[in-house]
Amino acid sequence: MNAILVGVVLVNIILALLFSLGAAPILVWIERRVAGFIQDRLGPNRCHINGIRLGGLIQSFADMLKLVFKEDFEPKSIKESFFFSLAPVIVFSSAFLTFMVMPFADDLKIGDQIFMMQGLPIDLGILWFLAFAGLSVYGIMLGGWASNNKYSLLGAIRAGAQVISYEAAMGLSLVSILITYGSIHLGDMVAYQGTLLFGFIPAWGILMQPLAAIIFIVTAFAEANRTPFDLAEGESELVGGFHTEYSAMRFGLFFVGEYVAMSASSALIVTLFLGGYHLPWLNTQVLKENMTGVIAFLVVVIPLVSFLFARWIGKNNQWIDKENIRNRESKILTKGLLLINIVIISLLVFLLWIGLEETGTNIATAIIQIVTFAIKLLLMNFVFVWVRWTLPRFRYDQLQDLGWKVLIPLSIANIFVTATVVVVLGV
Amino acid sequence: MGIKIIKREGGSFKDRIYLPAILSGMKVTFSHFFKNLKDTSNIKTLNYPEEMPQDITSRYRGVHLLTKREDGSERCVACFMCATACPAECIFIEAEERTDGVDEKRPKIFTIDLLECVFCGGCVEACPCDAIRMDSGIFSFVAQKREDFLLTKERLLSHQSMKDKEC
Repeated sequence: MNAILVGVVLVNIILALLFSLGAAPILVWIERRVAGFIQDRLGPNRCHINGIRLGGLIQSFADMLKLVFKEDFEPKSIKESFFFSLAPVIVFSSAFLTFMVMPFADDLKIGDQIFMMQGLPIDLGILWFLAFAGLSVYGIMLGGWASNNKYSLLGAIRAGAQVISYEAAMGLSLVSILITYGSIHLGDMVAYQGTLLFGFIPAWGILMQPLAAIIFIVTAFAEANRTPFDLAEGESELVGGFHTEYSAMRFGLFFVGEYVAMSASSALIVTLFLGGYHLPWLNTQVLKENMTGVIAFLVVVIPLVSFLFARWIGKNNQWIDKENIRNRESKILTKGLLLINIVIISLLVFLLWIGLEETGTNIATAIIQIVTFAIKLLLMNFVFVWVRWTLPRFRYDQLQDLGWKVLIPLSIANIFVTATVVVVLGV
Repeated sequence: MGIKIIKREGGSFKDRIYLPAILSGMKVTFSHFFKNLKDTSNIKTLNYPEEMPQDITSRYRGVHLLTKREDGSERCVACFMCATACPAECIFIEAEERTDGVDEKRPKIFTIDLLECVFCGGCVEACPCDAIRMDSGIFSFVAQKREDFLLTKERLLSHQSMKDKEC
């Protein structure tokens, strides 16, 4: 137990919290604004703290505050009050714990100590994810059953049937990935994806196993209870599905749990198929060797991106009423952006000037990889939102058909092909 | 025999694997997203309290008004036609004798309960004197108490007609 160990563990736990819990309000915000833009609307943009709107992000915090302070109403018809309260806790905590094995960066080496950059330093990887992802449906079923309401029960039954038909295909698609990578530890898988295929293509999972990638992404949508597979909620058919009887923070836990589960699924997709924390063609070793070049590149790119962003703010972030307090925001944001730029650039130039030692290079690599992972995670979450506002909901029997008759045979065939290739080539 | 056989779509391999259709749908939604993100002025949303709708014409059925004669007195003769025609029974009239020689009767009380009113326009159709109209252009009425939604004769007379404003 020394200071560095405690520090790195704390950083890891805070990062895991940020990527899962901290992401929930941001994801709610993304969901609403993207939905608005896709449907040619504005989305929530009014809520402000002293004129600062952050493009409507404040609305998410206002909503969370509302959910916390609302009356926690429990209908008299509920007999199993304990299970009724337990259900959202199961959903939320299982979604939250899934995130703990996602590697944010390559193993960090400080001095002679090596740290795993993930919430819990265990190498269970995919098994941990499957265990907790499978557990979350118990929360939904328990909540639907304990609500003592036919709509909730129907939602719970649908959730159960959906999980049975999807979990199998998901597990089988993962088997072919396990054969390819030869490990269940997510860190090893990402390290494998840092290598090059035929010497010039990054060996990302989506190129190595395209079919498994498609199957896993489809089943991940079902796992996270997102449209087109959100039959358990089915607000146009089942009132609110399994959470019809829930209100206040107990509903809030379901709500946040859904977004955390979505973020966890995205993180796993990024880790398994999109190269994890690797930039294309820049695996950890190459990144460490070319750190000076990368920092010089960042010194050029960060101001450029910030300039474009500031121009976008000046053009689009205007309130219609010129006297309104909300109109001060653009100036404040532009100044804040300038300040952040000055701090980052001076830091980077300072680093270039003094040069980096081995430990410094390792930490800089870890930071760049964490940022890469965060950006990939955000993009994958955007894809989840994007698909939700594009596709209609599947009918119940179509969903079962897709799960049992299409995805499971395809994933079994994929396992056979993968295994044959691995055996024949002797990789 | 003139039977037209319609070819069923959706049987081809391309249709059955769903993915091309899903991707083209995602392309459409993304083009909307990107267009609106690039320039939010592409969005036609009205920022309501700051921006008011400009497309309300004199034919819009808004809050009622009582029209006036040239001398400024009410045109209504308290014939109760509107109250009879009203399906929501939201018009309350009390008549009194008119002594200034313009007409024989006038309403002492003429009240419309906006919370009862269904804005059908039946009263306007029924009025023989063109005394009640709904072309005030007022589409938004809010109040703190139920009593404030009762429009008295004075308030009905004070509403301006959109037609008069346009002239």
